[in-house]
Amino acid sequence: MELKPSALGLDLPDVGSRIKRFIRCYVENTGAKGVVLGMSGGIDSNTVAALSALAIGGENVLGLMLPEKETHSQQEIDDAKLVADKFGIKSLVCDITPALERLYSSIPVFDTADKLCKGNIKARTRMIYLYYYANKQNRIVCGSSDKSETMMGYFTKWGDVAADIAPIMDLYKTQVRKLAQHIGIPAELAEKPSTPGLWQGQSAEGELGIKYELLDLILFGLERFMSPAEIAEQLDVKIAQVAQVKARWLSVEHKRRMPLTPKLEFRTVGSDFRLPIEAY
Amino acid sequence: MKDKIKIVLAQISSKREDKEENLRRFEQATLKAKQQGADLVVFPELSLTGYVVRDQIYELAETVPGPAIQRMENLARNTGLHIIFGMPELSEKARATIYNTAVFIGPDGLIGKYRKMYLPTHSVFEEKRHFRSGNQIAVFDTPLGKIGLCICYDIFFPEVARMVRLQGAELIVCISASPAVRRSYFEILTAARAIENTAFLAYVNLVGVEDGLQFWGGSRLVSPTGDLLAKAKYDEEDFVLCDVRYSDLRSAEAFIPTLRDLRPELFDQLKRLSECF
Repeated sequence: MELKPSALGLDLPDVGSRIKRFIRCYVENTGAKGVVLGMSGGIDSNTVAALSALAIGGENVLGLMLPEKETHSQQEIDDAKLVADKFGIKSLVCDITPALERLYSSIPVFDTADKLCKGNIKARTRMIYLYYYANKQNRIVCGSSDKSETMMGYFTKWGDVAADIAPIMDLYKTQVRKLAQHIGIPAELAEKPSTPGLWQGQSAEGELGIKYELLDLILFGLERFMSPAEIAEQLDVKIAQVAQVKARWLSVEHKRRMPLTPKLEFRTVGSDFRLPIEAY
Repeated sequence: MKDKIKIVLAQISSKREDKEENLRRFEQATLKAKQQGADLVVFPELSLTGYVVRDQIYELAETVPGPAIQRMENLARNTGLHIIFGMPELSEKARATIYNTAVFIGPDGLIGKYRKMYLPTHSVFEEKRHFRSGNQIAVFDTPLGKIGLCICYDIFFPEVARMVRLQGAELIVCISASPAVRRSYFEILTAARAIENTAFLAYVNLVGVEDGLQFWGGSRLVSPTGDLLAKAKYDEEDFVLCDVRYSDLRSAEAFIPTLRDLRPELFDQLKRLSECF
């Protein structure tokens, strides 16, 4: 297998159709009135919002913009609104700052300097808002995680990844960017740098320490059982860099699965309790 | 035996775990097939129950004969049609031993069944977890000709189609539940199995979304020289009526004489090589 950008090429109309069909079927079969999703202004949530609107109609999609004062960006809100308007999505801005401040003050050991722990609270608080609207309005929570982030564990456990369905979780970031443009998201939005938006100046590529163009090809090679040596040789990078990605890829499996439980009984959730999801 | 038969590729989606609803869909399509002058209606693999039913399979499986078979026998009797469909078959001699089975029913009742021999247990597939492998091919001599059956992943193994052809099948019916990412393989393999055996091949695939799997449809009738005689839509339910004209086999066999050129002595070598592979 040759690891080059074309390896990540997609039949974009076909992939778009499959994702739309997936969303439509799930919503129809569950009897939900639509979906709700967080719209950060980033490429992933903009793409999922647009695909949802194309699948079930924008009037059935609720995009929640959930800013807070430390990371507030009018540009991100404007980008999300632009997509919401273009695809006829209902949108709503809820400032989560008051909720966060009450939470921080209610935790006896809260450490304001620990931006990771604090950032995770923000992601999990957003999840609470999404599920509130889902419960209240009989909607499905539509997740926006992509495959690059999921493989690297670059998300908040039970936070931004928490959802009922994850329509683009099998697409790497660079593939999402292409799909986004294919479905009509402006190029400047599709190509802008990604950020989880948990603190000011946070950059996905900065934190991951690698460009998505390279990361996606390494992950693509690992997915296809290639050895780090093969991947490094083909991409002309140091084997240590590939090994580092692989180590992280392996170590975050706990974030991708149900919690482990000791096997004690006949059928056990997370291991051999296997039922279909009642999608009807 | 008729020289020309009319087949319906009944490309349906199944409602998972709802046999009653799926039987209703079988009935609806069969009645439509009757109106259109069909002889044979073919439904997809495990279409009685849906494909992704996981451990619910133990509740859904039925013996052959059994209640679902009885309903389908009545349908075949009332319409005068032949019907092939897929279901989880519970062994009559055990309580949780299940086969992935294609059932063949005619106006006079159950003609026979085929138990899938190659059970995919890789990637998203977990068939060996639930099913026991069949161990024999199935070819039926019917008023509609000699018809051999296979199921989905069987088509990756040329020996299944070759064996049914050598048993005399001139029409190979392959029922399937193939998800979209594997479409290109099946499009190639259906043509390959038809050409290498100079047989008609009717492929009927499921559609619909079951958990994350999307079945791609694309059911087809392939001629003995690999021509696409009929093709159903991708990804959507469809109902395609098409003709098999057995007299075309003579020119196909003469033009592509794979059956004439068979080398039985190679099969001994193949057996030895596969045993120590």
